[in-house]
Amino acid sequence: MNPDAYVLWAAAIATLGVYTILYRENPISRLFEHIFVGLSAGYLLVITWTLNLEAKWWQPMVAERRWWWVFAPVAGGLFYFIFSRRLSWLARLVMGLFFGAGAGTFFRQFFPIYAPQFYACFKPLRPDAELPWSQVLLHHWMFVIILLTVLSYFFFSVSHEGRAGRALGRASLLGRWFMMIAFGAMFGNTVMARVSLFIGRMRFLLTDWLGSFIPWFAGRGL
Amino acid sequence: MGRPPGRADRSAQEAGGGFWGRMQGIPRYYIHLLLAGVVVWQLLAPISMPIAPSAATQGVYDAIAAVPDDKLIVISADWDASTQAETGPQTQAIVQACLREGKRFALMSLGAPMGIRLAHEIAQEAAREHGAEYGVDWCNWGYKYGYGNVLMALAKDIPRAVGSDFYGTPVAELPMMEGVTDIRGIGLVIEVTGLAAITEIWLGLIQGPYGTPLASAYTAVMAPGYYPYLDSGQMQGMLVGAKGAAEMEALVERPGKAVAVMNVQSWAHVLIIALIVIGNAGYVLAGRRRR
Repeated sequence: MNPDAYVLWAAAIATLGVYTILYRENPISRLFEHIFVGLSAGYLLVITWTLNLEAKWWQPMVAERRWWWVFAPVAGGLFYFIFSRRLSWLARLVMGLFFGAGAGTFFRQFFPIYAPQFYACFKPLRPDAELPWSQVLLHHWMFVIILLTVLSYFFFSVSHEGRAGRALGRASLLGRWFMMIAFGAMFGNTVMARVSLFIGRMRFLLTDWLGSFIPWFAGRGL
Repeated sequence: MGRPPGRADRSAQEAGGGFWGRMQGIPRYYIHLLLAGVVVWQLLAPISMPIAPSAATQGVYDAIAAVPDDKLIVISADWDASTQAETGPQTQAIVQACLREGKRFALMSLGAPMGIRLAHEIAQEAAREHGAEYGVDWCNWGYKYGYGNVLMALAKDIPRAVGSDFYGTPVAELPMMEGVTDIRGIGLVIEVTGLAAITEIWLGLIQGPYGTPLASAYTAVMAPGYYPYLDSGQMQGMLVGAKGAAEMEALVERPGKAVAVMNVQSWAHVLIIALIVIGNAGYVLAGRRRR
């Protein structure tokens, strides 16, 4: 048998094995789950060596004679002093370095990511020559009302008593409804994504696997 | 296999019995079987549904078409086999759009070493169809480890940051890289991903500081979280799941896998909506009967 056929059969059996969970919890699905976890861990190890460590550390150190790279694992090894009570300060040294670099990079990213969204919250609420009423009402007013009511839901400093408090309570209730609608839309997208993945697997089973020995399936134009 | 515990029967009794009570207690595996049945039926004997491109998808296509001829499009393929059913057709449709518009593109990956191989195969196949040549019309920069550090280096010196391509050739030696030295040589970045947080790196380190246009393609689960970036104009367009890929295929007039998948998906959604309606109607009617 062609080596590709073994791969095809293995993939088909694994797919069907994992899908047995749809009937009920069973040892077959567990077996394939464990195989998957083991394969993923092994794959990660190989990838970490071939794409990261070998290319960026071993090759420069050995092939290009950059001997100072020998100190890299020493610095990295300091992380393991977290397990020593007496010498854990050594681990904190490298952690502090990483936290500092991470925080600095994120600080640099923060404003380019979020500032345009703050600006985008300010929308014209009056029509003009380029902006018809329908557009203003349907998009801008609706956006601003939803923004304010949802923000009011997260405003916990004022009790919902008295005239102003009750008004805030009603606004926050409306905000909660808007969020529920948004969560519903998100859940709809989640269903769509899961069904897409299922269709992908069914296509594989029908055209690639069944199609490999029943040509009628392969010829369905998928 | 034996029949699982009578959960369905108990649910039906709790719901007050009768037809509507039983409708709420349909065993889970019957619903799975029904869904599988609809999917298989539509894969083997499809009944087509119309596909109308959304504004978000049109935005991606327009952004590709607007890239100047002297600039590159970077397609960041940050996905792997787990989301291939959605991100694979998305990558394929984007590559087709680039080739149709005669734009040069480079594949790369920041977060998925497996994805870059899968994306490479997709681009190779599409390039063969269009007669596009590797190194001249498209190239693959490969998987680059380091997330934000890679992008910061890329912005200043592309040949140095990328080093060698997928085949180990220094990218500076590729004909299409002539004149492309830093971020000014990139006309558009398209992020295709099933991983969270990589878009933010592109936004924070490339789109924001340098004004390089950004478009994206997400799995349907992720997409709702990224609509604010579309509204604020930080993104030119967005493909949402298999639906976005199908819309893009319709735009490039090459209906392929995504259109086939979306057709099946539409029928699966019809079934799910019907089940939700039946379940809720049953809940209301059985409640009335109980009262």
